[in-house]
Amino acid sequence: MSEKKQQVSRRQFLNYTLTGVGGFMAAGMLAPMVRFAIDPVLQASSGGDMHAVVDVSEITTEPQRFDWTIEQVDAWYTSDVTHSAWVYKDDNDEIVALSPTCKHLGCAVNWAGDPDHPDQFFCPCHEGRYYKDGVNVPNTPPNAALDLFEFEVREGTLYLGNAIERGGDN
Amino acid sequence: MLQKVYDWIDERVDITPLWRDIADHEVPEHVNPAHHFSAFVYCFGGLTFFVTVIQILSGMFLTMYYVPDIENAWRSVYYLQTEVAHGQIVRGMHHWGASVVIVMLFLHTLRVFFQGAYKKPRELNWMVGVLIFFVMLALGLTGYLLPWDNKAYFATVVTLEIAEGVPVIGEMAKTLLNGDPNIVGAQTLARFFAIHVFFLPAALFALMAIHFIMIRKQGISGPL
Amino acid sequence: MKRGKGMTFVGDSRIPSDKKKFIPKDYSEYPGRTEAFWPNFLLKEWLVGAVFLVGFLCLTIAHPAPLEKMADPTDTAYLPLPDWYFLFLYQLLKYKFASGPFFVLGAMVIPGLAFGALFLAPFLDRGKERRPHKRPISTGLMLLGFIGVFWLTYEAAAHVDWEAKAENNKPVLPEETSVEIDTEDPGYAVYENSCLQCHGGELEGGAAAPTLVGIEYSVDEIKDIAVNGINTMPADQFQGSDEELQQLAEFIVSVNEQAAEE
Repeated sequence: MSEKKQQVSRRQFLNYTLTGVGGFMAAGMLAPMVRFAIDPVLQASSGGDMHAVVDVSEITTEPQRFDWTIEQVDAWYTSDVTHSAWVYKDDNDEIVALSPTCKHLGCAVNWAGDPDHPDQFFCPCHEGRYYKDGVNVPNTPPNAALDLFEFEVREGTLYLGNAIERGGDN
Repeated sequence: MLQKVYDWIDERVDITPLWRDIADHEVPEHVNPAHHFSAFVYCFGGLTFFVTVIQILSGMFLTMYYVPDIENAWRSVYYLQTEVAHGQIVRGMHHWGASVVIVMLFLHTLRVFFQGAYKKPRELNWMVGVLIFFVMLALGLTGYLLPWDNKAYFATVVTLEIAEGVPVIGEMAKTLLNGDPNIVGAQTLARFFAIHVFFLPAALFALMAIHFIMIRKQGISGPL
Repeated sequence: MKRGKGMTFVGDSRIPSDKKKFIPKDYSEYPGRTEAFWPNFLLKEWLVGAVFLVGFLCLTIAHPAPLEKMADPTDTAYLPLPDWYFLFLYQLLKYKFASGPFFVLGAMVIPGLAFGALFLAPFLDRGKERRPHKRPISTGLMLLGFIGVFWLTYEAAAHVDWEAKAENNKPVLPEETSVEIDTEDPGYAVYENSCLQCHGGELEGGAAAPTLVGIEYSVDEIKDIAVNGINTMPADQFQGSDEELQQLAEFIVSVNEQAAEE
């Protein structure tokens, strides 16, 4: 034994082969199943379809809330889901479309919802506040700016796509 | 490393004897296909267990997509089969496994029967085995309904009609399985799902445990 | 042997005083050499298992699990069949001696006796002899049962046109697009008279006729079908003037155009 330390004993060899064959069986069984289970993770996220929301002429410098309904396909279940956005024109006459979802815990924010701060977005859940450009007010619960919607203007109509996270800690 | 983890656990809960009970025993020559090719008939029991494992695993994974609801059951099966990667294979494994397990059980039963291996002292184990056979058939019957397609629906209607034909308790048995005295529908599907996924597997596990413990206690029957 | 009630224990624990380890059965009385279960014998078993698994996976890939149309309780044309391992029971119940007044005999007594005998086999066949040819009664009964089940299954399966059945029941995603039917259309009045009976109030089809939504026929083709029939549809279903026929065909085409847009 001491001379042939490097050699594999018969029992060890059988054990290795056993592990190998067992591993093959487990892999053969589980590979399709695991791929099946993790499929949603690997699904390419459906590219943001643009949806017509509102006529550009209705957009003012004051944020207004606009709703639009899309057909949401959730695997075998199709339903109509309403999304909303706060839309206004900034000082440069550029359209800004903000997501109403508070970055703190996901409540819906309101423009001028707090009488003390009529020029800010306000989240009633934990009194989070955002400036008009969506950046969170320091020392309120949210720690990131409101998401911005992708948008484009075609033939005088505003189309909105997915909400894009801005991140950043102010 | 692994050895250390094993030693750490072994020191506390003494798993080596347990392990030895499972792994450390001798197998006689007459059941070993390497010595006598005809001994392959002894493989049927093990293969039945193997297919059962496949059934349990693939069933667990299928429930990640399947919903037992008459509006959505068929749609979810259609979805997992056409849209989800490898859905065709996983459902295929469960579908064909259900047939293969019956075939294997049948062959295993015939082997034990024609070898007279059910005789004293193994009477109890034979009866447990027959019960496993019944549970498997019931699993096949309840699982057949779950995709909620035409063949599932009409086969279940027929089955329930047969149950209704039983004297005295027929009506009750049918309603119990069906959830409603007349409608084969939402409640039937929910019940069959519960029976297929919880009740029968629980019975199957218990019976299989008894079956295996008894085999280890009594050993394999001798050569003919 | 100190077993059962006569067993003595060590102290108040559950360890019997004569506790021996789970001593593996000794097979020295059997002829031939024994082999360790782990790893020698298990490896052979697993090799068999691996080969089996490869074959099984090939089967699942070569033959996708069948799925038929979504359950439709109104489908009266459907021939219900159980899974193959219940076909023998299904076939048994077709025979005169097992149906009608003898239903209980066919559904309960015969299978009950067969499975009851299987369950209680160790108590019905109590002889010491194990070889099949030394116990002809039990072997004979088992063979009889096996042949019976095999033959019944064959009888049941042979009378089914499996390919046509699969063809007629291909899975189709139910159409959600409910088309608005313009019942004011002059063509609809014609439709009501000649076609509604079979093709349904909303062109959705029925037991005897397919849906008319999603068909790809032109106006002229529809006119021809309405007069001359097609497949199982008999000729001369349409009753009316040529002008009405034109209206009818245009109406059906307009519904299809509308459906295609959605």
